[in-house]
Order: sequence, then C-alpha cells, then structure tokens
Amino acid sequence: MSDTQASSLTAQKAAEDTRGDEAPQFLQSKHEGYHWSAEAPMFLYAVWYLAFLYIPVLFLPLFSFNDSIYVAFPLKGFTLQWYGDMVDNPALLRALENSVKVGFSVAVGATFLGLFAAKAMTRYTMPGKGPITSFIMLPLVVPGIILGIALLVISNRLGMNLSLFTIGLAHTLIGVPFAMLVMVSRLEGFDRNLEEASMDLGETALQTFLRITLPLAWPGILASVLLTFTISFDEFILAFFLAGNEVTLPIYIWSQLRFPNRLPMVLSLGACVLVFSFFIVTFAEVTRRRGVGPQAGGAI
Amino acid sequence: MSREDYISIRNTSKHFGSVKAVDDISFNIGEGEFFSLLGASGCGKTTLLRMLAGFEQPTLGNIYIDGQPQAGVPPHQRPVNMVFQNYAIFPHLNVHKNIAYGMRKSGLSKAEVDRKVDEMLELIKLPGYGARGAHQLSGGQRQRIALARALIKQPKVLLLDEPLGALDKKLREQMQLELRALQRDVGITFVFVTHDQEEAMTMSDRIAVMSLGKVLQIDTPTSLYEVPQIKEVADFIGTINFFDGSIKGKEGDSTVVTAAGLGTVHSTAGGAAAPTSGDITVAIRPEKFNLSFQQPNADRNVVEGVIQAAAYLGDRSHYYVQVEGRDAPIAVAAQNAERQMQAITSESHEKVWLTWEQDFALLLTA
Repeated sequence: MSDTQASSLTAQKAAEDTRGDEAPQFLQSKHEGYHWSAEAPMFLYAVWYLAFLYIPVLFLPLFSFNDSIYVAFPLKGFTLQWYGDMVDNPALLRALENSVKVGFSVAVGATFLGLFAAKAMTRYTMPGKGPITSFIMLPLVVPGIILGIALLVISNRLGMNLSLFTIGLAHTLIGVPFAMLVMVSRLEGFDRNLEEASMDLGETALQTFLRITLPLAWPGILASVLLTFTISFDEFILAFFLAGNEVTLPIYIWSQLRFPNRLPMVLSLGACVLVFSFFIVTFAEVTRRRGVGPQAGGAI
Repeated sequence: MSREDYISIRNTSKHFGSVKAVDDISFNIGEGEFFSLLGASGCGKTTLLRMLAGFEQPTLGNIYIDGQPQAGVPPHQRPVNMVFQNYAIFPHLNVHKNIAYGMRKSGLSKAEVDRKVDEMLELIKLPGYGARGAHQLSGGQRQRIALARALIKQPKVLLLDEPLGALDKKLREQMQLELRALQRDVGITFVFVTHDQEEAMTMSDRIAVMSLGKVLQIDTPTSLYEVPQIKEVADFIGTINFFDGSIKGKEGDSTVVTAAGLGTVHSTAGGAAAPTSGDITVAIRPEKFNLSFQQPNADRNVVEGVIQAAAYLGDRSHYYVQVEGRDAPIAVAAQNAERQMQAITSESHEKVWLTWEQDFALLLTA
C-alpha cells in the first residue's frame, strides 16, 4: 500500500471515529509507530550516504556529454562527439571484444564449477567438507594484488604464455565462489526429496540431475552466469598482471588515462559500462528472486 | 495363495555412527498386504522404509523383495515406489508430466503413456487435472498425484511415508478410507509409516509397533488392542490401566493373581501360554469394566470404589474411579445408552462397583 493510500485510510478512520477523543487528524495521518524525532537523523544520514556513494559516479555520464576535453565545471555544451570517437576507435573495440570473450568463458566455466561445488556442498556429506568450502571461498578474501602476483609467478613457472587465457583462468578462480554462493542458496531452496523421488521413479543420478536439479536450478544458473560475467568484465588487477599482448577493456581504459585528450572518450566508455553493468546485475538479481517463488520448494 | 514372505527383512540393522536407528529386525510382509510401521518419531520406522526404497543401505542384514536380495540395488532399479511425506511433486512440471515422470523407460508410446496417465487421474478422482501446474494444487490433490505417480509404475510394493500427516483432520479421515479402498482395488502391497495409531488401526491388515529401533509386536489391529504382548505396546495403543500384581496359582482354566487395587483377580487371558508364577502386570482396558451403582451379584473380579472425576463426552463417558490400594484412579469408559448417566458428575462422589470378564484382565510380563 502506498503512503498516500495509507494516510487517506487513516484519515478516513479518524473521521469515522465519533468519540471525539482522538488526536487531531493531521497527527493521525502520520504512519503508525513512526517517530520523526527518532528517525529523522537516520533518514538524513541515509540520503547523505547515498549521495556520497553515487554522485561521483554520476559525474561520469555527465561529463561524457560535455563539449570540452577538460573535466571541470562549468559545463560547456552538449555533444555526442566522445561517443562517436569511442565507436571509431579500433583498439577500444578490440579490447571490448576481448573482455566479452573472457567474460563469457569465465561465466560459463565458473558457473559450471560452481554448480557442481554447490551440489556437493548441499547434497553430500564428505570428510573435510568445511575446509574444502573455505578453500573455494578463499579468493574472495585474498587481496587481488597478492593473487595477481602469485598467479603471475605460477604462470611463469609453468611456462604459460600470458594471454587472454591466463586472464580467464584467474577470473574463473575469483568467479567460482560467487557462482557457488548463488547456486548453494538456490539448491538449498528446494527439497531434496524431489531428487529422491526422481530416483525412486527409475531415473539414475545423472538423469535426475538433468531432469530435476538442472531445471530447478536454472534461475540460479542464469543469475550466476550474469554475475560472474560482470565480475570478469570489470576486473582490473588480475587482468593487469596476467595480460599478454591482448588487453581487456579495464586495462585499455587505464592505459588511455595518460592522454588528457582521450579522457572524455574514456568517460563515455565508462558511462556505457556503468549502464550495462547496472542492467546485468539487476537482471541477475530479479531472475534469482523470481525463481525463489512458488516453484522453488516441493513442500506446501 | 499369495506369498507370506513377499518382503523379507532379515536381521537388518542400520547404524548412524553410534546410534542404532534400526536394531536387528526380522519379519515378513505378505503379498497384497496393507502393512503399517507404527511408532513414535525416532523409532526407526522411516529408516526402515528408506532401506526398503534403497535410499539407505542396511549396516547389517539384508532385505528381500519377491525373493530378490536388495543389497546394493540402487533406488531406481528396485521394484518399489514411494509416496513421500511432503509428496515431492516436481514443481516445474504439470500434473500430467508429474504422473508420467517414471514412464520414460517403460517402452510405451506417448499415446499409451497418455492413456495410462488419464486412467490414473480417473483412479485418484482428479480427471481433467493433467494440465494443472504443480503450484495450483491443494494438499489433498498433491497427495493423490504423488500416489498416482507411484502407482502408474505398477510397483511390487508401494511405500508411504506418513502421507496423510500434512492434511487436516477431516480430509485425513476421508483419505484413510480412500487409500484403503484403493489398495484393495490395485492389490499392491502397501508399507505405510505412521505415528498415528488410529490411522494405522483404520487401514492396516497388520501393524508392526516399533520403538528404539526394535519391533515390539506385529499383529492385526484387533490383536494389538485386545491382546498386546507387552506393557509398552498395551500403553502405546489406546488407553489401559496397569495394576502391579503377583501370580498365586492356577484354578482350572484361570490364573489367580493378587493385584494392587483389584484384590484377587481371576484371568483366563493368554490361555495355556500364561505365566504360572512371579510378578506380573495386570492390564485392563477402560471399556472392559462394567460400572454399576448397586453391589453386583459377583463373587470374583469385582472391586468397590468412588467416582472421583467424570467426563461426559456425549456418546460415552469417562470416569475415574478411586479404589483402595492404588494411588491413581482407574480409568473407566462407559457407553451412554441410558440417559441418566449424564447426571453423574465429578461432584457426586458416588459409590460404584467395577466388574470385568475373566479374559479381559491381561497378564503382561514386561
């Protein structure tokens, strides 16, 4: 119920009340149990907090339309020139293509591994389950720069040439914990009796996985694919350490910052990435939540 | 004649760590029987059912179904199907696809499977429900569909894990009768797990009463109620009065016992198998007492007492009669065939006499 509906209903209720000992209507229209005096500071804090968080980000799209190579107020005028430059830049498009390639591979790989890890975590008991889980989650807490150096050293030792492939491996490493977390919550959401029922009805473990587990885990899988793609697409540090001749988009952006006249183009690119990431993550979250509806459980 | 050892459970145990969920159980279930495993939660009944289904492997012993040992046979290869406690209806499939789920490997054409599914829908009285989504079903409908999904496989044995537990009382009672009628129709052996003794009594041919991983007694509902073999079973099924006693000897067909609160009791229960000496528990069901307000014309099996509490339940009344020599009053149930019984209340403290037939005084050793 919206605020206006709520207050009009309360007002109506107050009007209908004939006892006359009610408080005046303007006080009644406040939400029940709502105390301005106590909550006003929290509200102001929240507004300030969100502004602090998002206003700097919003400068990106703002200046990407500004007709000047200097990122400074006052704004000069509206232009789409920087977006045009961006589209006409083959090196940039090449980096974008690389990022999409790596991101897509990582999304598929990490989700694949995460699904099986999640299945093992939620369905089987095995020795050392706790330590194994912690081990999979470890990349979440190890600083990127440490991980980057470590992976660089290992790649050299193994004689692997730095390339998009090494970046992909590194991104898969940090993507798996996210994929696993998304999928664990999905698999825990549905009744394991469903899998038993399938086996009881004559399907093997593999067929049960394909006919029951996979369709029910589908929203989680989609959410995981989108999430891990975004993680890979935005990641800079590991990519920076492990990139060969081919660079990903974040590295390209970083390399362009040295040239002041390229800055506006980078801003417009940043604005595009921002909007794109926002939509992907929102879509992933909506899919994940929608999936947890009446479909999720077998129990009533 | 159907086989009496259609399912044969032989010295079967299941240990979870140090817990013996099922502890060296052996018994047979006959072909076409409606057999219930009855017990409080944690008694091992569900574990036993899951071993029949193949979801758990026995730690010791083996289970035979239709003569075939089931050790190492995975659930999908067993000739049994299960109705789960929460029904486990596949949420992403409609009713038709749920019921047809197990038919993929049946070798039947799609048209034949469709026809069978329609037959099942008729059988469970939900014709035309095939296209419904799983989330559009009520609890009772889910239960029926779970049943159809299992029965379409024509299993040798149908396993039911408290399938009526989630339904409200009225629906549950209706489903009990339907389930029983269905079982007679299809002639499949049913193994039914429940903690509800009334449910087990209503439906079963035979009941195994379980406690702490052991089977206490296997019998027909009537026998379990009328002639329980041990105190625990007598206590678990229905209400019963226990009296501490000791055997004095034999007098013709009857065993003579002195029991606290009843005085000298003559009992013919147990026949020749009745114990002949030692301490014993005399057990009498509340409805087996006759309650009278005049001193009856009996020389044995009679005790005098005072009504301490009374509850009028319409068709019958419960009385609690205080007697000498027993701390707790004796529970007595009487049919209210005559109207003046209503007048007896807890306050009346009327003097009454209880009498009972010789074979209603059960002699229990444990």
